Amino acid sequence: MTTMLITGANRGLGLDFVRRLAPEGWQVHACCRNPSKAADLRAMAVEYDVTLHALDVTDFDQIDALKKALGNTPIDVLFNNAGIMETAQRTLSLDHTNQMFETLDEDEWMAVMRVNTMAPMRMCEAFVDNVAASNRKQMLMMSSIVGSIGSNATSRWYHYGTSKTALNMVMRSLAADLRDRGITVMSLHPGWTQTDMGGPEAALTIDQSVGGMVEVVKKLTPADSGRFIAWNGEDVAW
Amino acid sequence: MPTILITGANRGIGLESARQFAADGWRVLACCRNPDAASELASLSGVTVHALDVTDIASVDRLAQQIADPIDVLLNNAGQSPRPSLEFGSMDYDGWADLFAVNTLAPFKMIEAFHDHLRRSERRVVANVSSLMGSIADTSNGVVPYRTTKAALNMVTKALSGNLAGDKIIVFSIHPGWVRTDMGGPRATVSPQDSAAGIKEVIEGANADASGQFFNWTGETLPW
Repeated sequence: MTTMLITGANRGLGLDFVRRLAPEGWQVHACCRNPSKAADLRAMAVEYDVTLHALDVTDFDQIDALKKALGNTPIDVLFNNAGIMETAQRTLSLDHTNQMFETLDEDEWMAVMRVNTMAPMRMCEAFVDNVAASNRKQMLMMSSIVGSIGSNATSRWYHYGTSKTALNMVMRSLAADLRDRGITVMSLHPGWTQTDMGGPEAALTIDQSVGGMVEVVKKLTPADSGRFIAWNGEDVAW
Repeated sequence: MPTILITGANRGIGLESARQFAADGWRVLACCRNPDAASELASLSGVTVHALDVTDIASVDRLAQQIADPIDVLLNNAGQSPRPSLEFGSMDYDGWADLFAVNTLAPFKMIEAFHDHLRRSERRVVANVSSLMGSIADTSNGVVPYRTTKAALNMVTKALSGNLAGDKIIVFSIHPGWVRTDMGGPRATVSPQDSAAGIKEVIEGANADASGQFFNWTGETLPW
């Protein structure tokens, strides 16, 4: 049996990963801030081996509580999928232009860093022994090409972009730090996808994006540790 | 006579840069948190010392208002070093946030605040002092938070190079080498004099092609 712990599992890409892997017999620990509102996940939990956990990834007490609840359960795939473009307060503006030059909002930028960069590190710290005790031993980061320095000549999303650049650095560092324990760490780029974050104009359906990423994840070997791979299997520039 | 503004100018590479640019006839605006404790800096001719905490946005804005003249070069040199409390398994997340504030957000804020000063100048150059430790391609183990702050700074450099191209402002990152400073320690391989001289040469030679690049202090480009 393969066990996956995934954050931000209640919607978008995370939800579709659960939707695809739970019917294949994967045991899924599906985390989201508010399980009582996660109707799709709860429906899956009736049919499959899906367990919901309340988790705000920026609340380290909740991470510690989840670690305590799961004990020494081996976790084959720790999937740091939860991420934000901006905080709920900023989302009310309904555009992302507030992340442009000459509009630095220090608190907002740091809030995005805490969710997208620091929380994945905290999850990896908390569950590294569970991953090391598993068969697959994989830590996945949901990154983005928006954080690719080589792929961007300009930006409209400094907070989000730098948070994903920094996440890729976390990934690379952990790949080096945890190689001796046989752990594979890598970043994924989902493509521009029709999620709440990507919007309806996006190029890919969730089905195309996650379908591609599932193939990438299933083929991962320790030799792939430290790579940044797009939904279609291509490497993304740093 | 060109003007350069240097942050973190009271010691190490910043101090040596202030000395070398001033000696070459540049007008140097040397910034540090506590000018009263920067006697060596204050003794340099051609250098004016300004109080600035780069993480204090009000302090940055105040300085930008005080300075009327154009600024040819902004040398974002102030930075915070790796700390032992920031290792996997015992990570201090507030300490990490502090590192982001100094090493990533502050340089961005400085460019915002002095955008107009740069735009009115002849040279229009921003040099962000990064580190090879911020190279994602080159990463080895350890020192993760520090690495992330410099990688994120490189993203800022690259994206601003495009966003400011219309203003003909050149933005690049530069790795100062492993320098014998308080941060680099006594066993480091490069003297502050050589590092500052290398950085100065890259700054003086910077043209539009340099924008969006990551340079070593010796002038060659480094991988992201």
